[in-house]
Amino acid sequence: MSTCRLWWSAGIGVLIAIAGVWPAAAQLPTYGVGRPPSAEEIKTWDLTIPPDGQGLPSGSGTAVLGTAVFEERCASCHGETGEDPKYSRLVGGQGTLATDKPVRTIGSFWQYATTLWSYIRRAQPFDEPGSLTPDQVYAVTAYLLHLNGIIGEQDVMDAKTLPLVKMPNRDGFVPDPRPDVGPASSQPKR
Amino acid sequence: MTRMETTEHTALVPDGKARQFNFVMEAKSVITFPSGGQRLATPGFYEIRGLAWSGRGLIRRVEVSTDSGKTWRDARLQEPVLPLAHARFRLDWRWDGREAILQSRCTDETGYVQPTLAELVRVRGLNSIYYNNAIQNWKVAADGSVHNVHV
Repeated sequence: MSTCRLWWSAGIGVLIAIAGVWPAAAQLPTYGVGRPPSAEEIKTWDLTIPPDGQGLPSGSGTAVLGTAVFEERCASCHGETGEDPKYSRLVGGQGTLATDKPVRTIGSFWQYATTLWSYIRRAQPFDEPGSLTPDQVYAVTAYLLHLNGIIGEQDVMDAKTLPLVKMPNRDGFVPDPRPDVGPASSQPKR
Repeated sequence: MTRMETTEHTALVPDGKARQFNFVMEAKSVITFPSGGQRLATPGFYEIRGLAWSGRGLIRRVEVSTDSGKTWRDARLQEPVLPLAHARFRLDWRWDGREAILQSRCTDETGYVQPTLAELVRVRGLNSIYYNNAIQNWKVAADGSVHNVHV
């Protein structure tokens, strides 16, 4: 295959990916392996929750309810309060991002509370990802938001309230400006 | 928004803002021989070899320095050179047995030239972790041992 054709195919793939549509008879090369995933299979992988909370299931939890779940399922790697630097740190660090020693945690760095829910459901706990019920995920999410001083101990997190939580670093992100060095850079040089 | 888009493919810069949706690997190259952990047995003729790649397309040029960036020579690119793929480069070199710093610097089809680490740190600071496409330095010591160094 020529370089040109390779690029053309890749370009079509990107366009389709952007449009979010996969034509039934795509004009792409087939390699005689695999099969299209079923709708059911796609559903089991399509777990990302966007900032507006679309796809959050029913269920709810509070920090109080999350304490026990966290102690049983999370504390062995994250410490009792998620703050101990010898574990993967989840709590604290607010106000440190512009310093020489930034501490990136859920409270200091994460942009959306829905990301926390989405990630805990899919990837936690490390030894048994996907094993928490929606109620448990809401509760642990509420517990971590509470430990970071973002919500109250009794605040109920559910599909409606979670997307409304404003994370401290919500406005701390900017688009990727690269190339950031060399003649093509838009970055001012010192 | 996924965790990876939040905590991994972002770059925290000195003003406390985080650059987001970093997905392109910019032009990068590395010398694979001689490289860290290897040893040159004796002074003499060697072929420097390495790989270059760019998330923006084709590698157009790779230069190699054996004197810590003071002078550069064009390396040979081995076909096939394909977009987004590793391109093999080679350059003949006679090692005189003295300490040498080896570096490679590639240029891609957009004209982007692989930067030094100092250039990247100047704009990104020290807390940007992913997508470090800086020039790699290998020190060949007088005993022939090769080590990773910052220059």
